[in-house]
Amino acid sequence: MSRDFGLDTDHSSAPEPIGPALRRRLGGRYPIDPFGFDPHLCDLLYPAVSGLVRVAVSGAEHVPTDGGAVIVANRGFGIAEPAALAVAVRRATGRRLRVVGAPALPIAGSALRRLGAIASSYEDLSAALRVGHLVAMPLAPTWMRTGAGMPPLALMQATTHTPVIPAAVVPGGPFGTALKPWRVRFGDLVRLDEPYAPDDPLTAARFAEAVREAVSGLLT
Amino acid sequence: MKILVTGMGGELGTRVAQLLEQRAWATEIVGVDFVPPRRRLRRAEFRRIDPRDRDKLVRFVTDVAPNVVAHFGVYEPSSRMTPESAVERTELATVAALSAAARAGNLEYVVVRSGLEVYGPRSASVSVPDEDALPAPRTPYGESLLEVEAIAAGLRVQHGVGVCALRYAPVLGSHVPSPLGRLLRLPVVPVPAFADPPFSVLHPDDAADAMVAAIERRFDGPLNIVGPGAATPWQAVRLGGRIPIPVLPGLWGPAAQAVELAGAAIAEHVVELLRHGRTGAGSRAVDALGLTNLRPTQDVLRELFDWADVVPLQMVRGEVA
Repeated sequence: MSRDFGLDTDHSSAPEPIGPALRRRLGGRYPIDPFGFDPHLCDLLYPAVSGLVRVAVSGAEHVPTDGGAVIVANRGFGIAEPAALAVAVRRATGRRLRVVGAPALPIAGSALRRLGAIASSYEDLSAALRVGHLVAMPLAPTWMRTGAGMPPLALMQATTHTPVIPAAVVPGGPFGTALKPWRVRFGDLVRLDEPYAPDDPLTAARFAEAVREAVSGLLT
Repeated sequence: MKILVTGMGGELGTRVAQLLEQRAWATEIVGVDFVPPRRRLRRAEFRRIDPRDRDKLVRFVTDVAPNVVAHFGVYEPSSRMTPESAVERTELATVAALSAAARAGNLEYVVVRSGLEVYGPRSASVSVPDEDALPAPRTPYGESLLEVEAIAAGLRVQHGVGVCALRYAPVLGSHVPSPLGRLLRLPVVPVPAFADPPFSVLHPDDAADAMVAAIERRFDGPLNIVGPGAATPWQAVRLGGRIPIPVLPGLWGPAAQAVELAGAAIAEHVVELLRHGRTGAGSRAVDALGLTNLRPTQDVLRELFDWADVVPLQMVRGEVA
């Protein structure tokens, strides 16, 4: 994983004091990755985000500390799940999280890419996994986040060569139902019972079903 | 093995010739271009021919009858010539050199210079294209590069030779004539007002290494050659200590004219890079060609900005005296 200006694009760092950080921003001395991710900005925003979106993490040992992997999680219609998941991953492993689903909007899309969003496409997900990023892929939204939605089949085809970790995200405050912390629970790697060929489209469908069941199991 | 380097007068062509001179398997190195090589070459032979003199170029290549062609006869608009002239010379050099080399009968392998411009602007769904992404160029340079690839691919079909297209990220270096490099070194640089998309660049030494590695390994197919990491226009401008001037989406035409008056003509593909970014997935090339230690984009930019200013000779004489 590349390091520019002393910052790793995969592993997080402690935020700089505001003075040096501002000088660094004004001088352009911070890394950017080909997806538009800005790790220095994320480090600066992390204390505020983790204070606003409090998270309780369980199953942290299931999240890989290195290499490409996909975390498949449930989601509702809110915007706080990606933040809760990113805070949980950072707390569990110190890694940065990319999240599938950058909107195709001129300013908002660009801003979210700075924070780790990538396009919801087979091509960009494959590229991110190939270079060893940890990527969160949400299931289809469900009402009140009570269940595991349908997995995106087209994207699942990009994940058959990498570890897939199920995760359950249960809302808390301030964007959830009460002033409780969000609960993020990671499960064991999703495995198929029978041998499989990773490039077979049916394999992606089998993984999709297996991961949906795994997320459902974590939610109950 | 007899190797023909077209475009040997350019920075990359000359570097590749120098690297080939160090390889024992490159028994004969012959080059052609409309300008002479930029550095001293010890073993390589050079012939100065303008691609517009098609018959002369065809006769020369036929006489050489190379086993391998490293095709750098691909000219970037607003780099060393006008956009129209660059497209014309690229087409003439490609058709004449490659078809003559194939007809000469000894051709085994062709590597052509191409670029990430063939993918067109970054889309909402594919922002980091790999070699399987469908090319969709939107600029004359991107179309010109895709045509070069198509002509070379025709040799594979008709003559059964191996063909590799190296899709370079924009090559920047202190000695590389490049409209992007020239633009970024201006004291005031136009940048998009409402976007700041990432782009990757490539060091000229890495571009030359990739060409030689492709010849050595005979890779067949396209490969993205991209430096790790990226930068954004606003960031790159500040990295060089320059002043960014925001440009509204409809005002890039006047902005380009103003910049040209300041001494750095910017072609359409450079405006496309500034507005939409330009990156690519380069992991396939790293594996296929064994490219290690590619210089990161931001190191290449720093080297571009660290380039020493021109020192007036009069001052040097005074100091010596």
